[in-house]
Amino acid sequence: MNAKFIQISGIALTVVYGLFVVWIYWASPKNLADFETKARESVTKAASKASVVTNTYEIDKVKFQEGLVAFRSENFIVARDRFQKSDPEKRDARVQYYIAYTFYRQGWGRFSNDDELFLKGLKQLEEVKRLDSDFKADDPDLRLARPVELENEFREGLRFTASDLNPFKIGRERK
Amino acid sequence: MENEEITVVTEKSIEQVEPIPASENTVYYRNYLLLPSLFLTVTLLGGLRIGLSGGEFVFVRPALIALVFAVVLVVLFVRSRLIEPVGWFSERFSALENVAAGAVMLSLYAASVQVFNSLLPEAGLPFWIVAFCFCWTLWNNLFAPFDAKRLLQSLGGLFAFAFVVKYMVLLNLSVEGSKSWWGFISSGNITSEAISYLLAIPPYAGATGYIQFFALAIYLIGLFLLKPRLN
Repeated sequence: MNAKFIQISGIALTVVYGLFVVWIYWASPKNLADFETKARESVTKAASKASVVTNTYEIDKVKFQEGLVAFRSENFIVARDRFQKSDPEKRDARVQYYIAYTFYRQGWGRFSNDDELFLKGLKQLEEVKRLDSDFKADDPDLRLARPVELENEFREGLRFTASDLNPFKIGRERK
Repeated sequence: MENEEITVVTEKSIEQVEPIPASENTVYYRNYLLLPSLFLTVTLLGGLRIGLSGGEFVFVRPALIALVFAVVLVVLFVRSRLIEPVGWFSERFSALENVAAGAVMLSLYAASVQVFNSLLPEAGLPFWIVAFCFCWTLWNNLFAPFDAKRLLQSLGGLFAFAFVVKYMVLLNLSVEGSKSWWGFISSGNITSEAISYLLAIPPYAGATGYIQFFALAIYLIGLFLLKPRLN
């Protein structure tokens, strides 16, 4: 066999085997079944990253639709999970806004709000602003169409003031 | 008489057969395919441990000091002429030859790191004692007159000693620590539990020792096959 071919094969072998060793120490599978699971996850992630690099990234529309159905049926935990899986690289402002909105609707309460969820919602809004500072939702169901409105709602919900003791506040509506 | 003639003829024919020269391809296969495969296998196995309770894989990443020791070891290889850099890298060689030699060198370095990762205890007092012994020996070797054969003998002895300490002494003393004081007292194995706790010995299954034995053996075989001049 040609010497050059052997040398090229040697370099390829070193690179591939070396990357495999680095990956296995990074993934640290616990057993052979775990090895298979982590390998599949890594391939999916790598494919997703590659699509971002090649500018062919798209959200998973099926998962996004499933998320929307769950969102409309008030199943916010499932909705959030579907939305997150539809946009694993967090590159779509619309999906990220829906995720923030699930925190609002799940955390909203007639008597009191869930501060933990509202804080997560605020953090999630940062993602939306990072992706699109002028984002506006086109879904009429989302009555707070802009991130700034939702942010205000989160901040008001987190703040405790005398007006929170107003009994007429029970009649307020979730947006 | 006839038998004697036959015997003489056979002996003559054997004497006439000249030793077969190693084909160039065989040398290339050994240098560029076999050696990286061996060294990368050591790299893979060197940090692998098997958990005592569930038999799970534990991949231990090398401590920073293992990287330093591996550098010193490569310097020792050069000093003892186990590796002659001019036979590996040169402007006279093509870029491909230099890159291919670089890949072999990288795999040798990675394997050296993982051999130290394998032989150094994971934490606590034993780690520092064994690390100090390695440091002392490598530092002395840096200034001692050496040849490749003596270096390999010295390394074989050093690694064998460290292997015995870690996988035949410390590993046999280790047990899975109890979570509570009551469990500690009622375990019936107070001495081993106390030693494991005081020396911070992680509990690994006996299979770990077998894996590391083969990793070490493969590494030494790789060093034995290494030639001073690659190209």
